[in-house]
Amino acid sequence: MLLIRNLSYCYPHTEKPALAGVSLNAERGQILGLLGPNGAGKTTLISHLSGILQVQQGDISIDGVPLAVARHNSPTRIAVAPQEYAFYPMLTVTENLECFAAAGGLGGDRKRQRIGECLAFSQLERFAQIRAERLSGGLKRRLNLAIALLPEPELILLDEPTVGVDPQSRAFLLDAVKTLANNGAAVIYTSHYMEEIEAIANRVIIIDDGKVLRDGTLNELLNDGVAHVRLAVEGVIATQLRVLLGRFGPVESIGEEWRVMLAPGQTPTALLAAVEEAGGRLRHAEFGRNNLEQLFMTLTRRSLRD
Amino acid sequence: MLFALIKKELLALIRDVHGLVALFLMPVLFIIIMSLALKDVYSPAVKTLPYVVDNRDNGQLANTLLTEWEKRHGKPQTNITNWSDEVKSGKLSYALVIEKDFSKAIAAEKLTGEIQARLITDPGLDGSVFAANKAELNMIASELRAQVLLTSSLMAQFPPRANRKAPDLPVTVSANSLVDAERLAAGSRPTSVQQNVPAWLVFGMFFVVASLANLFLQERQCGALARLASLGVPTSMMIWSKALPYLAINGLQAALMLAVGVWLMPLLGGDALSLAGIHWGALMLVLLAVSMAAIGLALALASIVRTHAQASAVGPTVNILMAAIGGVMVPKFVMPEFMQRLAEFSPMNWGLEGMLAVLLRGSDMVGVLLPTAKLMAFATLMVIIAVLFFRRRAH
Repeated sequence: MLLIRNLSYCYPHTEKPALAGVSLNAERGQILGLLGPNGAGKTTLISHLSGILQVQQGDISIDGVPLAVARHNSPTRIAVAPQEYAFYPMLTVTENLECFAAAGGLGGDRKRQRIGECLAFSQLERFAQIRAERLSGGLKRRLNLAIALLPEPELILLDEPTVGVDPQSRAFLLDAVKTLANNGAAVIYTSHYMEEIEAIANRVIIIDDGKVLRDGTLNELLNDGVAHVRLAVEGVIATQLRVLLGRFGPVESIGEEWRVMLAPGQTPTALLAAVEEAGGRLRHAEFGRNNLEQLFMTLTRRSLRD
Repeated sequence: MLFALIKKELLALIRDVHGLVALFLMPVLFIIIMSLALKDVYSPAVKTLPYVVDNRDNGQLANTLLTEWEKRHGKPQTNITNWSDEVKSGKLSYALVIEKDFSKAIAAEKLTGEIQARLITDPGLDGSVFAANKAELNMIASELRAQVLLTSSLMAQFPPRANRKAPDLPVTVSANSLVDAERLAAGSRPTSVQQNVPAWLVFGMFFVVASLANLFLQERQCGALARLASLGVPTSMMIWSKALPYLAINGLQAALMLAVGVWLMPLLGGDALSLAGIHWGALMLVLLAVSMAAIGLALALASIVRTHAQASAVGPTVNILMAAIGGVMVPKFVMPEFMQRLAEFSPMNWGLEGMLAVLLRGSDMVGVLLPTAKLMAFATLMVIIAVLFFRRRAH
C-alpha cells in the first residue's frame, strides 16, 4: 500500500541529512514496527507521511499514486496519532471528536456514527462528557487514537502511543492496534518499548542516522543475531573466568553476570563443561539468540543520542 | 540554602528574556512616551490650539479683543474657506466668531442680551479646555467692557457735559451675557463619558490579542493544529475559524461598553453616553474596522511568537504602547506636536478618531472613511503576515 523509495531529507541550515535514502513499504493488514533512537529520523519520516514535510528527494506513493496527489485527493486516507496529546484540553471527549470529525469532512449521520464507533472502539463512552484536560494519561492516549480513527484511514501512523500509560492501558492500546490491522488497515507503529514491537509487529524496521539498518520480519531479525550464553558463576576469580570464557567468543561483563557471544563452531555445552572443569559452580545460565533490544543496541550502539 | 535559592531565582529571571523585556523595557518606554506626551500639561507653556477667527465687526473694540486673544493663543489660521467643516472634523479646535454689533454692544451702558462673541469648538474638544477658553473669552470681553465704561464715565465728568448727571441705573460691567461657547455637535452632548467610552472601547477591543495568541500557541504546541492540517483543513479556513469568533467577541465588547455608558453610568451618578442622532452605519463601520485591525494584529502576533511567555509579554506591551501613543491614555490634544504626529501611526488612534467622529461629531459613513480605510489596510497587512508565518509555524 505504502511504498517509500530512496527518501532523503535535509532540514534548512543543516548539513547532515535527517533521512538518507530510506526505502520501505507497508501493507494493508500488517503492523510495521519502526524503531530508532532519538534523532534517528522517525519523526521526519512520519512528518512526510502526514503531509507536513514535502519530499525533497526520493518517492513516496500510496497504491502507486504519488503521496502529494493521494493526500490532495483524500487527505484522510492517512491518519497520524502523534506523540503529543493533539486535541483541545478545554473541550470534552465528544466535543473533540466532533471537531476533528468535521475537520476530516464528516457530517450528519455518518459523523454521529463514526463518533459512536470510535468512542466504543477506544472504550471512552463513560468519559464522553469529561473535559479532555481532566482525563488520565491512559484515557488521553485513547482519545488521541480515537481522533485518528475517525475518518477510517487506510494507513495509520502511531507515534509512541503508549508513552506514560499504565500496563492495563498499554495492553488495551496494543490490542486495539492489532484489531485495526486485522480489520485491514496498514499500521506504522513507533515505540521505544521493544517488547511492544515484539508483541505486535509483523515487520520491523530499525533506522538510525537517517538510514535503514534492518528491515524484515521479527523472526528474520532475531535469527540474524549471534547465539550467546549468559551465565553467573561462583568459585572462579573474575580475571581467570574472563580468560576462560574468552576462548569461546567475545565476553561482556554485565554486573555479576557474563555474556559470551559464541564464536562460530563453539557450543554452549562445551562452554559450560569448561566452567565446571575449572571449578566453577553455575548459579544461573541462559542460552539464546539476541532479543530485539539486544539487536537494537548492537546496531545503534550504546552512545547517548540526546 | 537561601543563597542557592536566590541564585536559582536570579538565573531563572536572567534567562527569561521576554520577562526581562517586560520588566525593564516597558517602564523605560512608558517613561519616554508618557513624559513626552504629557510634556505640555506639566510645564504650562502657552498651549496653542489651531483656531480661526471670523470677524464680522470691523469696530475698534473687536480688533482690541482679537489682539488680546492672539497674545494669549497665538496667531489664528488663515486661508480657511469653510471653517465649519474644519472645526467639525477636529482639524481646527475652534472658531472665534465676532458678530457685527460687538463693538457697539460691548460699549453700551445697557446690555441687549444678544450674543456678540462666541467660540464654536470642535465637538471632541476636551471639557476643561472648552471651559477654560470660554472663561477666558468672557474675562477679556469683560475687561474690555470695563475699560470702555470707565473711560466714558470719566469723560462724562468733564465739560462740555460736566453738568450731565451720571445714570441712576446700575451698569453691568460683566460681558457674560455677550459671550458664549458651543460645540459644533450633531445632536450629541460632550461629556467625559462621551470621550472615555470610545477610547477604552478601542483599547479593550485590541485586548483580544493576548487571548487569541495564547490559544493559538496552545493549539500549535499540542499538535492539534498540525493534526487539522494533516486532515486537509486549508490555512484560510483555520484563519477564518479564529477571526470570526473574535469578531463576535469584539461586537459583544462594543455592545457592553456602549450599554455601560448609556445605562450604567447615569445610575452611578455620572453622565450618560448619548447615542442620539449618531449615524449607526458609521458606528458599525468603525467598530468593524477596529475589530478587523485588532484580530489581524492578534493573528500576526500569534503566528510570530514562539512561546506563551512571548505571547504574554508582547501582546499586552504592544497594546499598551499603542494606547499610550495613540491618544487613549493621554488625549492627543495635550501632546506636543511631534507626539501628535507619532499618534497618527497608532491603529488605536485611527480607531479612536473614527469613534470620536461618530459619537462626538456626528459623522456619517463618508466622515469615517479615512480612519476605517487605514484600519482595514492595517488588518490586511497583518493577515498577510499571519498567513506567511502560520504556514511555517502550523507544523
